Amino acid sequence: MIRAIRTMVTCRWSARRIQRYLDSDPAALLADDEIRRLEAHLAVCARCGAAAAEYRQINSALSRWTARQIPDPHSVERLHDVLDRLVRGEGT
Amino acid sequence: MLLRVARTLVGPADAEDLVQETLVRAWRFMDRFDGRHPRAWLLTILRNTNMNMHRRQRPDSVEDIGTYTSARPAFGAEPPSTEDQVMQSFLPHDLEAAVAALDPKFRTVLMLIDVDELTYAEAADALGVPVGTVMSRLSRARDRIRRQLRPQFAAAQTGAQR
Repeated sequence: MIRAIRTMVTCRWSARRIQRYLDSDPAALLADDEIRRLEAHLAVCARCGAAAAEYRQINSALSRWTARQIPDPHSVERLHDVLDRLVRGEGT
Repeated sequence: MLLRVARTLVGPADAEDLVQETLVRAWRFMDRFDGRHPRAWLLTILRNTNMNMHRRQRPDSVEDIGTYTSARPAFGAEPPSTEDQVMQSFLPHDLEAAVAALDPKFRTVLMLIDVDELTYAEAADALGVPVGTVMSRLSRARDRIRRQLRPQFAAAQTGAQR
């Protein structure tokens, strides 16, 4: 019983940190002890482990959109022209 | 980077105009730039320029989402490996529908971070909201997508157990 409650509490604690753990964004890094605790929990909890795997899949699929969305080279060229004119003091 | 973000904020048709105006303003205010965090500085100018241009905030409309998934991979872009395709529990169309179903407020943050690859702080600069707001919107966006894809995840798990 106590073990079940403890797992439940850790699941809630983990759920609030999984995305920050996966993102490793400099604005919201987890502390080393939080990372250790979370990784230990993900290794033994099927539900939280599956959640992390699902977030990874979503993230990996969305990063494929990035690769497919290279800006139009003509747009980039026109913007370079704008910058060149600004640098030459010609205005736009 | 600016073009990607502009596209997410105002849509593909107006993105180039917004970036052009942003560059002009950035050049004009160059003497106020302290030399630190140029991306953050440009993103802030982009946001202010967008507001000043009185553009209607038109975060990636549902139709625009399709262009991300239907576009052919750009030259040099890594095509998804066979292994990745096998590991994916859902089809690209499922994800597209889940993203399109999001509230624009959540979708914009998701696109800025997971597709345009901004950091939390950069997304906060681009939107003019605190980092905490970015994090909570991002978290809710991903949770909703995951919930919507739950049948596909469950089916994949059942398939794997057979």
